[in-house]
Amino acid sequence: MSPLDRREFLRYCALGLGALVSGPVLTACRPRPSPTPVPGPSPTSPPASPTPSSRAPSPSPAPSATPTVAPEYPHLAVARGGEPEDLVRRAINALGGMACFVRPGDDVIIKPNICVAYHTYEYAATTNPWVVGALVRMCYEAGARRVRVMDRPFGGTPEEAYARSGIADQVRAAGGEMEVIARLKFVETEIPEGLDLRRCAIYEDILKADVVINVPIAKHHSLARLTLGMKNLMGTIWDRPAMHRNLGQRLADLTSRIRPTLTVVDAVRILTAHGPTGGNLDDVRKLDTVIASPDIVAADAFAATLFGLRPEDLDYVRAGAAMGLGRADLENLPIADV
Amino acid sequence: MSKRPLSRTRRPSARPLRRAVQFGALAAFLVLLVAARRGGAPPSLANLPMRLDPLAMLAHALAARALLAGSALALLTLALTLLFGRAWCGWLCPLGTLLDLVPSPRPAAQRVPPETWRRAKHVLWLTLLVAAMLGNLTLLVLDPLTLVIRTFGAALWPALERGVTAAEGAAHALPFLRPAVEAIDRLLRPALFPLEASLSRAPVLYGLVLVAVLALNGLTPRFWCRYLCPLGGLLGLVSKVGLVRREVTSACTRCGACARVCPTGTVRPDRDFASDPAECTMCLECREACPYDAIRFPARPAPAPMEAYDPDRRTVLASLGVAVLGVALFRSSRAARTPLIRPPGARENGLEARCIRCGLCVRACPTGAIQPALLEGGLESLWTPVLVPRLGYCDYSCNACGQVCPVEAIPPLTLEEKRRAVLGRAYVDRNRCIPWADHRPCIVCEEMCPVPEKAIVLEEVTVTDAAGQPVTVQRPRVVEERCIGCGICEYKCPVSGEAAIRVFAVEG
Repeated sequence: MSPLDRREFLRYCALGLGALVSGPVLTACRPRPSPTPVPGPSPTSPPASPTPSSRAPSPSPAPSATPTVAPEYPHLAVARGGEPEDLVRRAINALGGMACFVRPGDDVIIKPNICVAYHTYEYAATTNPWVVGALVRMCYEAGARRVRVMDRPFGGTPEEAYARSGIADQVRAAGGEMEVIARLKFVETEIPEGLDLRRCAIYEDILKADVVINVPIAKHHSLARLTLGMKNLMGTIWDRPAMHRNLGQRLADLTSRIRPTLTVVDAVRILTAHGPTGGNLDDVRKLDTVIASPDIVAADAFAATLFGLRPEDLDYVRAGAAMGLGRADLENLPIADV
Repeated sequence: MSKRPLSRTRRPSARPLRRAVQFGALAAFLVLLVAARRGGAPPSLANLPMRLDPLAMLAHALAARALLAGSALALLTLALTLLFGRAWCGWLCPLGTLLDLVPSPRPAAQRVPPETWRRAKHVLWLTLLVAAMLGNLTLLVLDPLTLVIRTFGAALWPALERGVTAAEGAAHALPFLRPAVEAIDRLLRPALFPLEASLSRAPVLYGLVLVAVLALNGLTPRFWCRYLCPLGGLLGLVSKVGLVRREVTSACTRCGACARVCPTGTVRPDRDFASDPAECTMCLECREACPYDAIRFPARPAPAPMEAYDPDRRTVLASLGVAVLGVALFRSSRAARTPLIRPPGARENGLEARCIRCGLCVRACPTGAIQPALLEGGLESLWTPVLVPRLGYCDYSCNACGQVCPVEAIPPLTLEEKRRAVLGRAYVDRNRCIPWADHRPCIVCEEMCPVPEKAIVLEEVTVTDAAGQPVTVQRPRVVEERCIGCGICEYKCPVSGEAAIRVFAVEG
């Protein structure tokens, strides 16, 4: 047979490449579910113009940036009893409503705990999907331009974990997007306030977002004792093993750079043993509780009490309070039980 | 392109059609290979090309002593061969198409081996089938489909991923390119490439095997198909009774154009330019080249004569001897007793007598844990799947390998069954484990362990650190009866180099 000439060869190459590429391109061209939220005030929406006083000063937080809360609102809210979505709304409304944290046009990232692709939400290894869905909805109600939900699991791929946890379904139903985790977006970042961890590859979008809402599920962890808000930020960095040396301080260091606007601890179900992966329903307790605070240290401190621990039992709470990232002296804080 | 006399009227050329079929088949084959990764194409579609391979399916049936309904697909290829001879080789085989893309020297400069070399491929497939009856499938590493699939999954695709990642990284460093790079990355991942790179243990080896096969074209076109391909040999023998075959009519002027273009060199000037249907790939290039339209492809129900290089009684006996001796030698190796960490359920299933060495599981594994075995289990285990936990772990939420395996050598376990399948057992290396040896905190293996009750438990002890101070550390210990050997502990162990917790295969 006569050999292909170069032009012909290139043509076939182009054809083949076209065939290969067209699949994913076509998939990617599918219309995305429109992130148009339900506009207008919802029945449970907060007072018309609350003071957005508790916004984290994201570009350059002062070293002593203990979150301050407007005096008319409590420092921390805990909602008990009811459906997950209702718990979230009650807790956040007690803090003044989502409009205190999300301004119209904001780019919001919600960071639940979707650490493995192994189990459904009943096993309490991943954040309750309706808690996340409610937050997405409330962000849009407050006028957010874009709401993305992300985590980087350590067991299984992000997409599997998003799907198995049930979070992808609830987020899409609420009009939000599941972030496709990209290796490129983990950028080496200075941590100016870090005492031990001074540099770390952090997911860029977390640093760029106008608002970060941290939504851990409260669960057991052998080294940290509990996985709560500060530990949940591990999902935003590339090199996790490095954190394990001096975990408590390094979590506080990482928190000092990310500074979530709001921390919502999902304690609808808590995992009391064999965390963070779980898999045994005997280890799960249903508390129907949601804790919310702009103060991540206070949120973690309060969540510790659900397990019968004192805030100071957690290294990262102690380190965070010492660095002035928040307050762990629960007895002195105005707390709303709703 | 060949010169054509201007005075002729010609039928339309078949070459565009064949090219379209060839490249279409190659493209489909590659797309299915890309999509064979977990989460891509349905497994029964991803493994369809492999199940079209009659040599692999027959050898599997002989070795496993089992007939699989899915293997019946290979009858399609046999039927095609009974109708059109080795059309598979000229029109469909992905390796054949790749070989057509590799240039060969012009006829005068070719170094053509003696005709008797064509027997080598018959010796190969006969030996392969005899060995299969003895429960050995090692020679299937030379099947053209397994060769391409393995090379793709264990070398080409990981290499492409590395290249793309490097290019992305370089372009991403330039601020004005970042949005474009991120947009491209979103198209590529996770659809085509994984978030975390899959690495291969011996990509150069796999690459070299393919390059060697392609480079043989430098001697003469389709050297592989003429002399070596065991599938081609088997299909060739069937083609002896194929219905449609090449014929030269009385219009032939003995100009020799057909002999010069025949890619398998089976057109014999010394025999009035007749050819052997067992060597003809039905590419129709001779018909294209003939200035006098003297080549026809009529249906002829009579069997074609045997050639000197065709398998005779001595070939069969020699193959029998080689197979028996070879299998005996393989099995007398010490390495053949080495237990290997197999994909879930495969060890109990008798993997070695079932695995067709195609490497689709390597491609399907989302973490890159499954790798073709090198010589750790002896030659008999060459390129059968093993788990290499330092490269990847058996994901607790995945059962893709058993689903994609074309011959159920890795059984198609449900996710629940797979989670209970024991691949091996982890052992802590107390001399290197951070809390054991260095008295510093680390619980990564326990944290990662996916078993609901945790197969790794921590024992809290107070020890004296280097400064003489008492410190409390949690030391990991593996609970044998809970460990499934998934290897995530070894994969994630932060100790550099060899992990301080390692999975070993269980016996049997």
